[in-house]
Amino acid sequence: MSKKMSIRDLRKEEVMWPGNPACQGCGGSIIGRLIFKALGRNSARVEVASCAPGFMNIRVPSFFGPAFEGAAAFMTGLARGYKIIGREDIVVAGLIGDGGTADIGFQGLSGAAERNENVFWFTYDNEAYMNTGGQRSSATPEFASTSTTPVAKMSRGKTSEKKNVPMILALHHVPYVATASVAYPEDLTAKIVYGKELRGFRYMHINSPCPTGWGTDPKDTIKIARLAVESGLWPLYEILDGRHFKLTYKPRELKPVSETLKIQGRFRHLKDEEIASIQKATTENWSRLLAIDGKDIF
Amino acid sequence: MVGNKAVAYAVKLARANLIAAYPITPQTTIVEYLSEFVASGELPAEFVTVEGEITAQLVCLSGSIAGARAFTATSGEGLLYMSHALHHTARYWAPVVMAVANRSVRTMQPDHTDLLAQRETGWIQLYCENNQEVLDTGIMAYKIAEDDRVRLPVAFALDGYVLSFTAEPVSIPEQEKVDGFLKPFKSKYPVLPETWDAELEEYKKHWQQGKGINEPFTPFAGDENFSHLTMVSWGKGHDLQWRWRAHQEAMMRAKKVIKEVDEEYGRLFGRSYGGLLEEYRCEDAEAVIVVMGTLASTSRVAVDNLRKQGKRVGLVKLKSYRPFPSEEMQDIAKRVKAIGVIDRNISLGEGGIVYGSIRSALYDQVEKPKVLGYYAGLAGREVRVRDIENATEKTLKAIGSGVMDSTATWIGG
Repeated sequence: MSKKMSIRDLRKEEVMWPGNPACQGCGGSIIGRLIFKALGRNSARVEVASCAPGFMNIRVPSFFGPAFEGAAAFMTGLARGYKIIGREDIVVAGLIGDGGTADIGFQGLSGAAERNENVFWFTYDNEAYMNTGGQRSSATPEFASTSTTPVAKMSRGKTSEKKNVPMILALHHVPYVATASVAYPEDLTAKIVYGKELRGFRYMHINSPCPTGWGTDPKDTIKIARLAVESGLWPLYEILDGRHFKLTYKPRELKPVSETLKIQGRFRHLKDEEIASIQKATTENWSRLLAIDGKDIF
Repeated sequence: MVGNKAVAYAVKLARANLIAAYPITPQTTIVEYLSEFVASGELPAEFVTVEGEITAQLVCLSGSIAGARAFTATSGEGLLYMSHALHHTARYWAPVVMAVANRSVRTMQPDHTDLLAQRETGWIQLYCENNQEVLDTGIMAYKIAEDDRVRLPVAFALDGYVLSFTAEPVSIPEQEKVDGFLKPFKSKYPVLPETWDAELEEYKKHWQQGKGINEPFTPFAGDENFSHLTMVSWGKGHDLQWRWRAHQEAMMRAKKVIKEVDEEYGRLFGRSYGGLLEEYRCEDAEAVIVVMGTLASTSRVAVDNLRKQGKRVGLVKLKSYRPFPSEEMQDIAKRVKAIGVIDRNISLGEGGIVYGSIRSALYDQVEKPKVLGYYAGLAGREVRVRDIENATEKTLKAIGSGVMDSTATWIGG
């Protein structure tokens, strides 16, 4: 289990240089900074098609765009190659978008997890293909308006639920699965500090608000991410060996989901009954998670 | 031994230390033999049993970047599925070696269309006639790929079934001699965090001094970091035509390297294969036929038979399709009056791929021989000695005839 950290415990050393061409308020860029700050410079970075190769200012050996579907493959080869040259100490980290994780990269991801490759996979989830203009991915939540699920006379946005990748990964029984949020850097860092010392396949799924794609004010990125956690839409937890489940942050009382949905352009069209349906699903999911908190699952 | 075992021995003798592959008939036993070598400890290597061919190729690519001598093998549909990744390995200039047990698509039987369809990926392509050549080519492939003047991935092909599952006597070279021929592999990429900053600075300086594609080897030409960190603006960073120019130049340098490696192998092991192509009984030939792969063995018999009848015919066995030996073909074209190209492949809508390449190579010759095209052995169709004899005789008869039409002949329907 990760050990609780305070924001004051974060390392001082930065791995990211100042300045990159990400949009204002980009959650992904902050996540990139936090991840490599936690991992330190003895790491290597793999990225596939996404906004992340634009975060070019992370100073570790970096490999971009080796086939959209190939993040897991590239990380596998790099980790095995480092082993061959006697440098297993280097942490192979992937900073991969939700498309490269949940859609086109899913086969490779599952394969690498099943083989328990010695890599650390970070999904920064902005819930659509934001780099190509905001098309829906399987990580897009229900009802969200995207450029391929536009709200119009015949459409209420995305028709299916978000794919639950962390739970799918947990069922691969990998050493470590965690969710995190850009609004909780101390929780995110504590999980990386713990996961970094483990061997085998480690997976972290991070909520990454995208002002451009979500239709939000850039200054609200952290606020939206925080509200998602506080409303139970984005629970923070970790799963060890695919079995031991623990919520790492438990709000005393969940805030209503409408607070975060209403300040996002992609949910502006929601009717009261649609918000009620999201509220119901979120509350039910939260109580299911509370019931298994601290227990062995599966 | 069967061809697939010859491949496995080549990989073992080359001391490849990263193997990633996915099973597909008729390639499968290559991977099985290798897994046995690894399991028994005979071959110390990382063996990655991947979930598909794209992963297989990309594991080899990134492993090679980190410093592994990487190997994969595939066939037919598997190769087509891998195609996207092939481009990436070539763009990164990663000296990965791959065996391809040729297989036609939507049949199980061999022809060369699978690998020839990858001819624009930037891989070197070598075709083999028999299992001994398969083993020798597998070892030479690493030497070619890792040469500083080349540094490109190499695919070597063996006809599925005809070689992959057919046993022939094969002589296995001694490990010490192979070790002398093939030095341990070292990556040229900056992969170590502690030296990363310094290496990038060095590379930036190198480029800013006006060096780059004119160098024999641009250290990490395929690496996106280069464009990100050394180019001032996004626009400039995305002007990457130089990569294609550099790759083309490396391919052209590879012609010389392939010949040198073949000669050196011949000196050390007593077997060589003519470099880019091999001529058989071409000395005083009026007509020659050109083939790739196992059809060469059939063609040798056909040429011998026709020679016994006093016909001046010869065989050109094309070993390297990429790079294409244009100069060598031009030289042959100066000596003969007709060339018959037997393609075990087809580019639908145009025709035989080798036929097109040869005619293109000869276009600037003032005195051109006649060049006739034949299709044979597609989807594994049996090609008899008699079929080759017929094609060769037809080629011979074309000498002195009037204007040639450019349609090719189907052998065996």
